[in-house]
Amino acid sequence: MGGRKLQIALYWGAGCGGCDVAVLDTNEFILDVAALADIRLWPIAVDGKYRDVEEMADGELDLTLFNGAVRNSENEHIARLLRRKSRLLVAFGSCAHMGGIPGLANLATKEEIYDRAYLHNPSIEPGNTTVPLAQTSVNGYSLELPRFYQRVFKLDDVVDVDYYLPGCPPAADQVRAVLEVIVSGVLPPKGSVVGAGDRGLCDECTRTKAEKKIKEFRRPWQIMADPEACLLEQGILCAGPATRSGCGARCPTSSIPCRGCYGPMPGVVDQGAKLLSAVTSVIDSKDPDEIDAILAGLPDFTGYAYRFSLPASLLQRSVRS
Amino acid sequence: MDQPRIGVYVCACGTNIAKVVDCDAVVRAAEGLPGVAVATTYKYMCSTPGQEMIVADIEEKKLDRVVVASCSPRMHELTFRKAVKKASMNQYYLQMANIREHCSWVHGDGVEATQKAIGLVRAAVKRVAFHEPLESRMVAMCPNTLVLGGGIAGLTAALELADAGYQVYLVEKADHLGGNLARVDLTAPHLDSARDLLRERIHRVMGHPHVEPFLGAEVQSLEGYVGNFTATVAVPGGNGAGPAAAEGDDGPTDGGGATRSPRTLEVGSVIVATGYREFDASRITHFGYGKLPNVITSFEFERMVREGRIETVEGRQPQYVAILHCVGSRSQEFHAYCSRVCCMTALKYAHELKSAVPGCYVSDVYIDMHAFGKGCEDFYRRSSEVKTLFLMYGKNDYPVIRKAEPGDDCGMLIEVSEQLSGELIEIPADLVILMVGMEAREDSAEVARLVGISQDKDGWFIESHPKLDPVATTTEGVFIAGTCAAPKDIPDSVAQARAAAARILGKIARGSIEVDAVFAEIDEEACSGCRICNELCPYSAIEYKADEKRSRVISALCKACGACVAACPSGAIRARHFTDEQIFAEIVGVLA
Amino acid sequence: MNEDRPTVADLPTVADLPTVADDQTAARVDRPARRAPTGAAGSFQPRIVGFLCNWCSYAGADLAGTSRTPYAASVRVIRVMCSARIDPTFVLKALAEGADGVLICGCHPGDCHYSEGNYKTMRRYPLLKRMLADLGIEDARVRLEWVSASEGQRFADLVDDMTQRLRALGPSRIKTALATDHAER
Repeated sequence: MGGRKLQIALYWGAGCGGCDVAVLDTNEFILDVAALADIRLWPIAVDGKYRDVEEMADGELDLTLFNGAVRNSENEHIARLLRRKSRLLVAFGSCAHMGGIPGLANLATKEEIYDRAYLHNPSIEPGNTTVPLAQTSVNGYSLELPRFYQRVFKLDDVVDVDYYLPGCPPAADQVRAVLEVIVSGVLPPKGSVVGAGDRGLCDECTRTKAEKKIKEFRRPWQIMADPEACLLEQGILCAGPATRSGCGARCPTSSIPCRGCYGPMPGVVDQGAKLLSAVTSVIDSKDPDEIDAILAGLPDFTGYAYRFSLPASLLQRSVRS
Repeated sequence: MDQPRIGVYVCACGTNIAKVVDCDAVVRAAEGLPGVAVATTYKYMCSTPGQEMIVADIEEKKLDRVVVASCSPRMHELTFRKAVKKASMNQYYLQMANIREHCSWVHGDGVEATQKAIGLVRAAVKRVAFHEPLESRMVAMCPNTLVLGGGIAGLTAALELADAGYQVYLVEKADHLGGNLARVDLTAPHLDSARDLLRERIHRVMGHPHVEPFLGAEVQSLEGYVGNFTATVAVPGGNGAGPAAAEGDDGPTDGGGATRSPRTLEVGSVIVATGYREFDASRITHFGYGKLPNVITSFEFERMVREGRIETVEGRQPQYVAILHCVGSRSQEFHAYCSRVCCMTALKYAHELKSAVPGCYVSDVYIDMHAFGKGCEDFYRRSSEVKTLFLMYGKNDYPVIRKAEPGDDCGMLIEVSEQLSGELIEIPADLVILMVGMEAREDSAEVARLVGISQDKDGWFIESHPKLDPVATTTEGVFIAGTCAAPKDIPDSVAQARAAAARILGKIARGSIEVDAVFAEIDEEACSGCRICNELCPYSAIEYKADEKRSRVISALCKACGACVAACPSGAIRARHFTDEQIFAEIVGVLA
Repeated sequence: MNEDRPTVADLPTVADLPTVADDQTAARVDRPARRAPTGAAGSFQPRIVGFLCNWCSYAGADLAGTSRTPYAASVRVIRVMCSARIDPTFVLKALAEGADGVLICGCHPGDCHYSEGNYKTMRRYPLLKRMLADLGIEDARVRLEWVSASEGQRFADLVDDMTQRLRALGPSRIKTALATDHAER
């Protein structure tokens, strides 16, 4: 990349800001980055206007780290803009990678979401029926708001993505490692998932695994989990078997089951379906009624299995009308 | 993947397919599919010219994949695999589309059937592009055999193998050999002595240089796979009298009652000949078994005959004897099946009674008289000539047995709704013999699990194919013989035992065995060691290597069911010939 | 070769001749000609992907064929060795690819060729159905049934029944919904 400083942008779409904090969590390393790179856009930390980006030449940016999903027309507009201006676009974090937590909104329709958020919410004063509109006319002025899409998309549904850096948020050491690789200029094949392992989380989880047979599912607060044994074997639904490693198994190490933010293993098409198949296969019963009773211990399994990956799943969203 | 060169062969099956499916339209549709180099239809693809056409095309047109759209793959997959093999193509480069059983034979509308046939061919074409060449492997065959059960079937199989010069380990749970047959006096229809049938066999087994019998013993575990099983047999202490102890023994010697360590046996094949148990007659309340002392089971009658004393519990010779058929068999509440041997055994009892208690009246109360075996119909005719009263009762319309009044000249009265006359008939009886049927042994589920075979809904062990392969099981190297598979008589049990032995001798003669190329395999680079798969395998084909934290499939043990493949959350287990890519291609193909 | 003059070698092998299971013969003679529902005459013919285990259900479907038991031409069967091979992913894939219904068939519980494969299917299915319900997929679209090798008639009845229910329900919206999402963006 020559002697020129790297030109980079960081952006958040439909996200929570945690990914930006993860960049800051690299601590002093961010200063090294600042020494090597010009940060041209970073709404959470640096002042800047979209106009500044629009005025750049195509390909002027070396790298954009895009976090957040695509929920509305603004997210998509900026994604397309940054794609045009950037030589490398990285889907940063679970939301850009697979839709993430915002992607769970795909279990509901846009109308249901509006109803809950703007019409029938305990914090809404009765009679207030204001909902966001893409076009509003006030005192003769036409005001525009981003258009709220029918559903949430992942970043590569709307633009071409070069690399995926998973995690909610990505582990700081992985962020650092990926930035170092990009600075080095020795790039992995396009489309790679970077900053993550190729095996399941169980590989780096230090809990002891035994043969699995589940007679009862339990919520983490219902038991004092054995600190040494596999959580799933204790009946606690853990997405670790169906999730990529790379985070250092920080959740299970802290007695919190994996929620699956690093996404499925390479070659696995649908993380939720795989988690379903795995955990149900080891249920210790041959009796349909007992199986139902055991499965009753998994409330909102769909929300758990697709907590970060619904827009990246085979069905992507509820088709309820 | 390079673009494959696929040949598509649409069989007309005479008119079986062509009368409903427009085979030419299927050919035209196939021609338009990516990768299809040749598509054609022929009246019988399975005929010699049909197969030769495929062979010639593979060679001349340089095909590397073949799709045959014809009958069910369960019918002719092997035929066409052999055909492509002839052309030096790997046999797994074949895929069949079932356009007969699943299409032309079940759909009347030609347009719809043709559309469906095109969909099935499209799926096969898309799938076959993902097929991989697979090679089966050869493993050594251990010539020793483990026989479970020392009844007539087990004894026969053991001797058949031992006489051929191969080592047999015969494990019998009881402390003596002979099984259920040892409880019988004469056999039907020729009235041969069961003792004679058994004596010679037991004697030879006990003294045979190639048979090591274990009495009062049980198999604890069976591991390994065809040709290479390891069995552990527990021999209880204090059984030193058995010849097993006379042979060289790995364990510490019998210390007069001390439990010996289990024996470990290397065997290549297993014959399960664990037999049956009799139906518990007290489960049927109408017959008063257990309450009326002179209502006895067929086995209790056998004991009387063997002891030479046919008498009531009061010590009197019976004047009237009734024999009641189908006790526990052919009924809605108990067993729907026929136990096969009871009818002829009942006739035998009539003979035995007539000769032991001349002048006694025998009534034979049956549902249908099943006299299907060789010589059985003659036996039935002879029995009806010796003044046996035959009364036919209806299925689930049980005769009722009650105690007679003091004034009656008999102990009991049986009320039968007689089917042929349509009348309610009451017959006297001093002794009632209940022909108890056969049922699966109480330990049959345990045995099935131990050796890895399946049971049907009645608990009988399931054969590999009910008609064409009634000796083998779905676990290669494990065979079944005798009444553990279903009720059968002595000739059938012996025939099955000899057949099982012959199958094993065939394998031994070849010296090595081919292990199927279709099995699951774990990509250890992708396995996370989560151990979800470990417990799922019914064949214990998955082993976990604790030091490496990875699971591995022992391919020779794998039966390719794919349970672990579907469950593996890492996508690390591949089902050869049933990969995700292949099945996805089929899904897309049938829906395109 | 001369197409018009068959030779001995042209004849099908014995195994190929149509066979009828013994217990089916009487039924076949006596049964009034039943017309399987067809998709003709403008009515909607659903597309059902059937995942059938090789040993029981596929054999059962074969028996429906050899017994000439008619049923709707709605089902397209994909053979797997055991119902336990059916990854829930396959069901989602079929639905995403436009299937109106998915029929999963395995051996009856206790009768599995692989001892216990169908129990794995039995365990996965209820949770899969819950997941599908959460995703707005109607109950009738995905179905698990046990079909033995001797239940050709049952297989035919199942396909017909499912076809009727799907016809009442109408085509699956999934594939078009996913496409229009992008178009409306």
